[in-house]
Amino acid sequence: MDTTPKKIPLREGLWTTTASPEGAPRLLGSRCLSCGEIFFPQRSQNLCSYCQQSNFEEITLSPRGKIYSFTVVMQRPPVYYHGEVPYAIGYVELPEGVRIETLFSVDDTEKLKIGMDVELVIEKLHQDEDGNEILTYKFKPFAR
Amino acid sequence: MRKFREVAIAGVGLTRFDSYDGKKGRPLKEFYDLGSEAIREALKNAEMSWSEIQTAFCGSVYCGTASGQQTIERVGMTGIPIINVENACSSGSSVFRLAYQSVGLELYDVAIAVGFETMPKGFIKSTAWPEWQRMMGFNVQPADYAMETVRYMEEYGATVEDFASVTVKNRKNGALNPLAKFQSPVTMEEVLSSRLVASPLRLLHACPLADGGAAVILCSKDRLKTKSRMVTVAASVLTSGTHGHAKGGGSVRIHTPSNVEISVRQAWDESGYGPEDMDVVQAYDTMASGELWDLEKMGFCQRGEAPRLLREGVFDITGKLPVNTDGGLMSRGHPLGATALAQIIEIYKQIRGEAGPRQVSGARTGLAHVMGAGSNSGIVILKR
Repeated sequence: MDTTPKKIPLREGLWTTTASPEGAPRLLGSRCLSCGEIFFPQRSQNLCSYCQQSNFEEITLSPRGKIYSFTVVMQRPPVYYHGEVPYAIGYVELPEGVRIETLFSVDDTEKLKIGMDVELVIEKLHQDEDGNEILTYKFKPFAR
Repeated sequence: MRKFREVAIAGVGLTRFDSYDGKKGRPLKEFYDLGSEAIREALKNAEMSWSEIQTAFCGSVYCGTASGQQTIERVGMTGIPIINVENACSSGSSVFRLAYQSVGLELYDVAIAVGFETMPKGFIKSTAWPEWQRMMGFNVQPADYAMETVRYMEEYGATVEDFASVTVKNRKNGALNPLAKFQSPVTMEEVLSSRLVASPLRLLHACPLADGGAAVILCSKDRLKTKSRMVTVAASVLTSGTHGHAKGGGSVRIHTPSNVEISVRQAWDESGYGPEDMDVVQAYDTMASGELWDLEKMGFCQRGEAPRLLREGVFDITGKLPVNTDGGLMSRGHPLGATALAQIIEIYKQIRGEAGPRQVSGARTGLAHVMGAGSNSGIVILKR
């Protein structure tokens, strides 16, 4: 039996690494073909919550955006979160016009600012009880 | 639209909100003890017996299956319909509205709205997020408020001192409320030196959790035992979120009125009042910053203007528009199912002239607003 620790995505379908030849990660979203609204994560099985049509195309989202808002959580939330504390979360606005709630990958949370340029990374969220690395998407500040 | 008759409040009952966990000398009370205590007081207040109650709506969030039946079993089993409602922090406003509608539409003449909760400790273990989002640490209610707070500071120049001033005002009011969990004032320095919860918000920017029960009996006017200082319902509305205002981020492209704006517009339409007609307001202060933008979104002032009005004393008990006269969630504590009914009861007491040392002089009208995860927005307007 293979007991080598594995890297496991938190959830299938949040991102892909096959959208570009370099294997760079891209978040997967949906665009409503009726009204143009963009959703993350994908909602292709549902109706558009704005125009109520069911006419979506699957899209990959821009890996770079700007911080819309953020906070640093100082206390461990109950039960489900097993990552580090404190941790930074917030909303990132992508150029195609969608805001995404995300964790931030940042050494010094004091540096977070509204409007800051950030890019998508796939990083460890926590290690599960079998030693596997659970991966998730985060956004990380970068210098233009 | 069907004919809708005037609905009066026959009586109210409210327990002290506190920790009833049986530890450190505190009494141990379950949600059904607190709920039934509130019902007994409401019956006494209305001079009614349980047999006069024709239907019951019970709000709670963490009390599980048939919590209303377990509560009401302690005051009487008369075979009436008992409906349990979970609508997050708006549960109390939701059961009030159901009771109001059932009397207004002449389905029943006497209905009771009950709210109760014994709260889990610490951050609320909310299931209002999908599991993968909880695993990413998104299920932190103070963090949602913190992110809106950071935007509010950026857009309007509000400061952490402004938010601390909300706590200071509400705790000052709470010191006059014998049913509040916290009955002592705090200073600006104490708020700003309390520990960070979700930056920039600190522990004393957040309302405390609490256990408690609340009950309101609504009836047609002919069922009132006395019409002296009669209080009637001018509006009770409930709305859910709109696409342009999805939790936290919202839409970049779509600009629709927010949940709060829609609910307050409906409340003015239903009551025929406007913001200038309100003598006292219970705003939703689950986090201190929320009270400020809540007042703005409801149209009591312009966007970004509330911090200045707060500093000028406009929202004090003696001010032009007293807000959270009983200390709000910040002092009272937050038993989710009971909170909105406690807000409504404070409006009732104020416009009856029964608010004691925190009485707003000459109050005849008042509005209570609550928000809940989902999202929900519940508004009740009472008048004398």
